[in-house]
Amino acid sequence: MNETKNDNILESSIPTAPLESMLWMEELQHRTSRAPYYEKENLLGLASALADLPNTISQTRVDRTRDITQCDSITAGRLLSLAVTVTSEQHIESVLRKTVEGLASQPGVALARIWLLASVHIPNAWQEDAHSQEEIEHLRLVASAGNPIKSPGEDWSSLQGKFSRFPLTMGKVGQVAAERHPIFIKDFAPQDSWVVRPEWAEREEIRSFAGYPLIFHGKLLGVMGLFSRRPLDEQEFTWLGLFANHAAVAIANARAFEEVAERQKAEAEARELANALEAKIRRLVEANVVGIAMFTLDGAITGANDAFLQMVQYSREDLDSGRVRWKDLTCAEWRDRDERAVAELNATGVFQPFEKEYSRKDGSRVPVLLGGALFEGSGNEGVAFILDLREQKRAERALRRSEAFLAEGQRLGQIGSYSWRVATGEITWSEQLYRIYELAIGVPVTLDLIRTRVHPDDLTLYEKMVEQVSSGGNEFEWQYRLMMPDHSIKYLHAVARATWDVDGQLEYIAAIQDVTGQRLAAEARDKARSELAHVARVMSLGTLAASIAHEINQPLSGIVTNASTCQRMLAATPPNVDGALETARRTIRDANRASEVITRLRALFSRKETATETVDLNEATREVIALSLSGLQRKAVFVRAELADNLPPITGDRIQLQQVVLNLLRNAADAMSTISDRPRHLVITTDRDGEDRVRLSVKDVGIGFEPQAAGRLFEGFYTTKNDGMGIGLSISRSIIEGHHGRMWAARNDGPGATFSFSIPCRREVGLSSNEISPAAWMLSEREAA
Amino acid sequence: MISADNQYQNRRPPKETHPSAMHSQDERSAIEHSLVSIVDDDESVRESLPDLIREFGFAARAFSSAEEFLWSGCIDETSCLILDISMPGMSGPELHQELKRRGRVIPVIFITGQRDETIRARVLKQGAAELLLKPFSDSALLSAIKTALQAT
Repeated sequence: MNETKNDNILESSIPTAPLESMLWMEELQHRTSRAPYYEKENLLGLASALADLPNTISQTRVDRTRDITQCDSITAGRLLSLAVTVTSEQHIESVLRKTVEGLASQPGVALARIWLLASVHIPNAWQEDAHSQEEIEHLRLVASAGNPIKSPGEDWSSLQGKFSRFPLTMGKVGQVAAERHPIFIKDFAPQDSWVVRPEWAEREEIRSFAGYPLIFHGKLLGVMGLFSRRPLDEQEFTWLGLFANHAAVAIANARAFEEVAERQKAEAEARELANALEAKIRRLVEANVVGIAMFTLDGAITGANDAFLQMVQYSREDLDSGRVRWKDLTCAEWRDRDERAVAELNATGVFQPFEKEYSRKDGSRVPVLLGGALFEGSGNEGVAFILDLREQKRAERALRRSEAFLAEGQRLGQIGSYSWRVATGEITWSEQLYRIYELAIGVPVTLDLIRTRVHPDDLTLYEKMVEQVSSGGNEFEWQYRLMMPDHSIKYLHAVARATWDVDGQLEYIAAIQDVTGQRLAAEARDKARSELAHVARVMSLGTLAASIAHEINQPLSGIVTNASTCQRMLAATPPNVDGALETARRTIRDANRASEVITRLRALFSRKETATETVDLNEATREVIALSLSGLQRKAVFVRAELADNLPPITGDRIQLQQVVLNLLRNAADAMSTISDRPRHLVITTDRDGEDRVRLSVKDVGIGFEPQAAGRLFEGFYTTKNDGMGIGLSISRSIIEGHHGRMWAARNDGPGATFSFSIPCRREVGLSSNEISPAAWMLSEREAA
Repeated sequence: MISADNQYQNRRPPKETHPSAMHSQDERSAIEHSLVSIVDDDESVRESLPDLIREFGFAARAFSSAEEFLWSGCIDETSCLILDISMPGMSGPELHQELKRRGRVIPVIFITGQRDETIRARVLKQGAAELLLKPFSDSALLSAIKTALQAT
């Protein structure tokens, strides 16, 4: 084992160093107090001066370099060249990598490595305090380069593996670091006890090792190590020592450079962040969404945005002159509140938002909400944010007013409302709903309580309603009855709509109207309509008197003639008995015909309550035609009936419907009374109108009606006739609507008009004037599909 | 409906026992040759009236409309026309006017079920022999026919 320790490498090496190396080293020795990047700049300047100047120094260096490259040992020239390369690198990784690569390319060098001092923090197991940590320093492999010759596939530039970390005292490398002295083992055998990997050393024919501490400003940075296949000589060891010093400087420089760059980067980021924040605050101030004012605790306002000035109605000039003071702005009764806020500011640096009033320049007041804080470290100055509450106060007043309106409206309209949260069963009623149900306002409402008020006949319906709502759906509409304790009956109409509150809970909002008054009015109206229809019937009786007489006189005429003939035949000699029998038969038949006519007339003109029966519209129509045929013929009207086969029966009042048909026939005939240039054709048609309705139309070729009159045709007392009262069509339409049908008029393509009505052929519900059957109160669900 | 031709051909001969005492033998002879035509859209009239008129001793034919009568070829034979006023198509007065336009002067007795006195004045003014309101008695009818026939 051949080991040399050298305490003063520089001193011993200077006399033998070439010129350029001396200059270089001198420079290194004199720059210790300068900033790292200065050193580097100077060094680079020196190096480039050496390279560029065409003087003897440079020439000498070039010559020398040539000499070096031709010989087989590590020379100062080679190391200088490497030093220049390494120094020009700015990044620490590049410095380290180029250093080891440059060393590895020196003659005979097998492997060059650099370890740098690093520390890890490990928890201190001996201390109670869990946060106490011990800092452990070690060496970490940061650069490696080499030339394997007997280890195919091995990558010697890898930083991983067995020797990537060293404790400070382990092996020769650890020893270098611990003792801060170079170690040089000129020539060793792999079997020497200190060799960590003898098999590797033997295989790769390693003969020599040199390790140098990397020291900068007296501080250990790490270790540079070299394994050589050729025994290094003392001179080479010395040069490498100088190079190691230089490498330490380059590493420290690169580190410093990166630190500076990083600091600059951090500063730039911080500046950018501050700018962005400032811009945001400026935007907030300038946006004038909220009032912002800078204040001092003694009562001054040192700055404010336009929003604030607008709130208090002062100008910027007022503010700049210092006349606007927050203590003066505050109305007298709010001064105490201000005192508390100031106390809060002094104690905590902020004050919680509170509402107060400012008095404005014109003496009026403005309600505001304000909150604020003192500037950090100022102790006296702060910023406040002020919100104008006028709009909010107005909205609050409007809301209170609208609530009052709603309550009054509900009272007036007999409408109550309620909400029902299905999940919790929580039901809230409006006051009016309590009044409708005749319950004490405020008693807790439950489904059971409601049930006690529901009409016994509608309880099933009520249960069905509850079930429907509970099972979901969007919109519902029902009509049901209540029975009060005094057995009076109320009719209610309810509409419910589903909503979802912020928690996603289903809640129904419903409006319930007491329609008892309307129901009674509707019944009275139906009765009046029935009476009116009767009046109209009597009136048509007058106008139809002639045709009625004709209708009856026709068979009477036959009776008289036949009876006369019969008499004469029996009085003859011999009596013509056969002839008399025949004429007597005709007499009886005609008498029966007359009787039928009278029966029909009596039905048509008798006063009757609305009757609900199954009506064959065709048959009813044929009867009307038969009754009015002679009248129509007298008016020279040709009637053609086109009645559909298999017309489904309808439910309704036969006599009322016949009244409508008769009215339509009469109107059609009247419309054609002045027509002389064309046959007066009248076509009466029945057919199906879709699946479940039947339609009847009466088409004439009369004078028709003007398009603008279409809307008024069915109005009461509207007429185009000189002798009509104009209530026929109006009553007709009332009747059809009473049958849940509709009636309309259309102008023909040719001359004349067509009046039609259409009514459902099967209806579950009775006529509107009838007693309410449970079926009529069946719920109708309007749930959206 | 029995056709007009059949009614005409099957008519029974006038009976001697008819209340013809009020007529002279000559008159009766003239009357017995007379054809009374009836135009009415009402079947019961067409059915009953010809029998009664035959009982009076006249020949009788019935037609259901003005048009049927005009096309029947019986216009010239007809001595007296009993005409309903209201009929679909051509009305009684219209047929009356048409006959006058053709130069056929046949005495006309109008019959109607309508109680409208203005009609009476109108038709008599236009040359009708008589207007009978249904129902009318056999004597009123006979009297009207005789008046009509004498007018010619």
